[in-house]
Amino acid sequence: MGKHARLLGLVASLTLFALGCQQAQPRPQGSSGAAASNTAGSGAAGSGAASNAAPASQASGGGTSSSGPTRVTIGVTETIESQNPYADSISLGYGIWCEVLGCLVTMDPQTNTYKPELAESWEVENPTTWVFHLRKDVKWQDGSPFTSADVVHSINRIRNDRDSKQKQNTAPLASVEATDDYTVRMTTKEPTASLLSYFADLLIITSKAQYDKFGPDQIDQQPPIGTGPYMFKELVPNQRLVIAKNPNWWGGKVDGPDEVVYRIMRETEVRVTALLNGEIQIAEFLPPHLVDRVNSAPNTKVVSTDSQEIMFLAMMPKTKPWDNKLVRQAVCYSIDRDGIIQGVLQGQGKRLDGPIGPASYAYNPNLQPRYTYDPAKAKQLLAEAGYPNGVDVDFYTPVGRYIQDKQSAEAMAAQMNAVGIRAKLMTPEWPTLWADVQAGRTPFYYMGRGSVNDPGPALSQYFETGVSPRIGYSNPQLDALFQKERASFDENARKQALSDEMSLITEEAPACFLWTINMLWGMAKNIDYAPRPDLRIFASDIRVH
Amino acid sequence: MTRYLVQRLVGTIPVMLLVTLLVYGLLHLAPGDPASLLLPEDATDADIAEARARWGLDQPFAIQYLYFVGNAVQGNLGRSFRFAQPVTELIGSRLPATIELAFFAVLIAVLIAIPLGVFAGARPDSATDNVGTIFGLFGISMPNFWFGIMLILLFAGVLHWFPSAGRSEYGVAGQTVTGFYFIDSIITGNWAGVADAFKHVVLPAVTLGCALAGILMRITRSAVLEITREDYVLVARAKGLMNRVVLWRHVLRNALIPIVTVVGLELGTLLSGSIIVETVFAWPGVGNLLITGVTSRDYPLVTGIVLVYTVAFVAINLAIDAIYAVVDPRIRFQ
Repeated sequence: MGKHARLLGLVASLTLFALGCQQAQPRPQGSSGAAASNTAGSGAAGSGAASNAAPASQASGGGTSSSGPTRVTIGVTETIESQNPYADSISLGYGIWCEVLGCLVTMDPQTNTYKPELAESWEVENPTTWVFHLRKDVKWQDGSPFTSADVVHSINRIRNDRDSKQKQNTAPLASVEATDDYTVRMTTKEPTASLLSYFADLLIITSKAQYDKFGPDQIDQQPPIGTGPYMFKELVPNQRLVIAKNPNWWGGKVDGPDEVVYRIMRETEVRVTALLNGEIQIAEFLPPHLVDRVNSAPNTKVVSTDSQEIMFLAMMPKTKPWDNKLVRQAVCYSIDRDGIIQGVLQGQGKRLDGPIGPASYAYNPNLQPRYTYDPAKAKQLLAEAGYPNGVDVDFYTPVGRYIQDKQSAEAMAAQMNAVGIRAKLMTPEWPTLWADVQAGRTPFYYMGRGSVNDPGPALSQYFETGVSPRIGYSNPQLDALFQKERASFDENARKQALSDEMSLITEEAPACFLWTINMLWGMAKNIDYAPRPDLRIFASDIRVH
Repeated sequence: MTRYLVQRLVGTIPVMLLVTLLVYGLLHLAPGDPASLLLPEDATDADIAEARARWGLDQPFAIQYLYFVGNAVQGNLGRSFRFAQPVTELIGSRLPATIELAFFAVLIAVLIAIPLGVFAGARPDSATDNVGTIFGLFGISMPNFWFGIMLILLFAGVLHWFPSAGRSEYGVAGQTVTGFYFIDSIITGNWAGVADAFKHVVLPAVTLGCALAGILMRITRSAVLEITREDYVLVARAKGLMNRVVLWRHVLRNALIPIVTVVGLELGTLLSGSIIVETVFAWPGVGNLLITGVTSRDYPLVTGIVLVYTVAFVAINLAIDAIYAVVDPRIRFQ
């Protein structure tokens, strides 16, 4: 065999290998009827090149078909590993389990008001006693009736299950009792006007009868039985979770797709590629730099939503120079938030003029005071505080935890340096930084606080005396406002109390509130879905055209 | 041989003790607290303290370690903080995916690298040799997270030949029997499942196998180069054997010892390489589990996985020793 012939043979064998791979391309039409019936596919075609192999793939993933069931596949970043709905505390899990098992109360993101779910109404009997009246027409998917015993059981399981990571959702409760089959009385440790914020789309209700039947060791090996609009179908750990419509839902016809597949894809590039080639129809959390790629593809679009995660700079007043309010305010004046939103976050953010943004409950657009970008004023405040020559500080930031976090921190450090706050950027890995922040060992840091729907509990956690050492701030006047707010059961009075709290925090500046970062979702154009600021994905909200 | 194997197995006990102590110690030394990392940010300080007590983290290090070893001896590696399941069950459910991936990576590497190495070694400085050497360098120097993403962009994004990630398609994967998707699909007669398994494994296996192929090609080339200069090869040629027969029967057979050694050693590297590849391709294997365990400081999970890796590494080396005897009948174990 000559030299060239051998080389030719080598190239030929590699080509054959590649062709072999290619021949495997048509997606199996599947042993499952559902997978096969979707192959008609609709407009979910990916990029232009998708015309050969992709239609099968995207059709198997979703879109609609005139004959078969509709299926939507969502590329998600979090994972659900266990059938125990209480074993994790993540947005994805709360959304899925609330839809499969059922939740007591839900939050309407459009109006920021609480809506009935399994509880059809509730009343505050006295400042520490709440009474919930349950729906009487609800049945578990095995046909047994849903009663108050299930609610009491669920709360007990949240508090006592060895794997529970949701105890914080029942933290205000002192006791729970079923007064009759459809009434539950809850007593709180202290007046807690924000109690519903601990429950809305968080308090997952599971069947007591099912638990009693299988016991604590076997219950999570059984297919979960719920009351929600969707039913559990399949969980393949670290790969996917599948739910399908419940034809007997107490709420009537479910308008969402027949099946929804939550596919775990942590890598951004992978999610975007899968979206563009039609493997998935919705991709969670795109970084700003991939927006153009998704928007410019013929069959995909980007949908943006406000976030309930507030980004802030925390300054611990127990340490120098942060013990001086003027220095803290100088930091707030030194940062060009609009500039960073445009330059670093590529326009995908909203400036915060106070602790919360419009996506949160009790947002007040007229909150005072406000910090503008005013380097001269920052310098002046610093001089008044006794630092005419500036001051050296260590500035901690997470890396890769939030979108463009290190880049934002670098920009802020440069702006602070310009007014004399010489910030040395420190970038420990997240587990180290988070442990230090939680233990009150980090004097000055950039951080986010998610799930700020009702701001009461979150603000208390960071700014009320003795609640957590994360900032270590203490102000008797603010503490009194927190007490007043928690005891204000009239909605307007409570909103006013929250505004007063937020004004005082802004004025005292133990933290500078910076921005919220828009959440970007990639979607096939035939999908109509408005992502929620609380990041729950409710399958019943998804429409396929 | 049996005595030799038993001796080697007994010798691994102190190795495993040392490895667990080292991993356990390093994890405890690393800053970050599992309770604060695993509970949500709205967890109260009381919730965190309660979780620490529940997981035994309020005990001194020595007590925690002894407790771990005591349970491990009885086959109980503890309960994962993050996944709320027994570690042995978690690893057991993920191991088939990792083994399947490693198997195909080795298969791809051997199928590409050995012929390439033999051709390159038989004709040094020829065009074949140059192509092979470039390929080898490419394989060795390619960072697999980057290579993986490039493969996804090309073969999933542009050409649509393969799915971008995951191990199986919903609705195609059938019943789980052994946990090995290929084997399960074959024994249940699910041919669509076999094709699905193949399509999903190709890109991660090529990514993982690429580095191994590079090294293997280089080793094969140099072994072949050396052996072709041996007298018995000259004799084989002198008695008029065809070049093909000389190469494959006389040269390759004798070059197999270094090749097998390298494959064995590299299988260990393959396990660590699979951590990255599994993350990039959302492959639900042990490597993926390990990453989650490390980032959440899940002590029992990480220690358990490292223990399993250690056992696997020792077992692979033993298997390689056994293969030596098959490849070269002159080798005997005392």
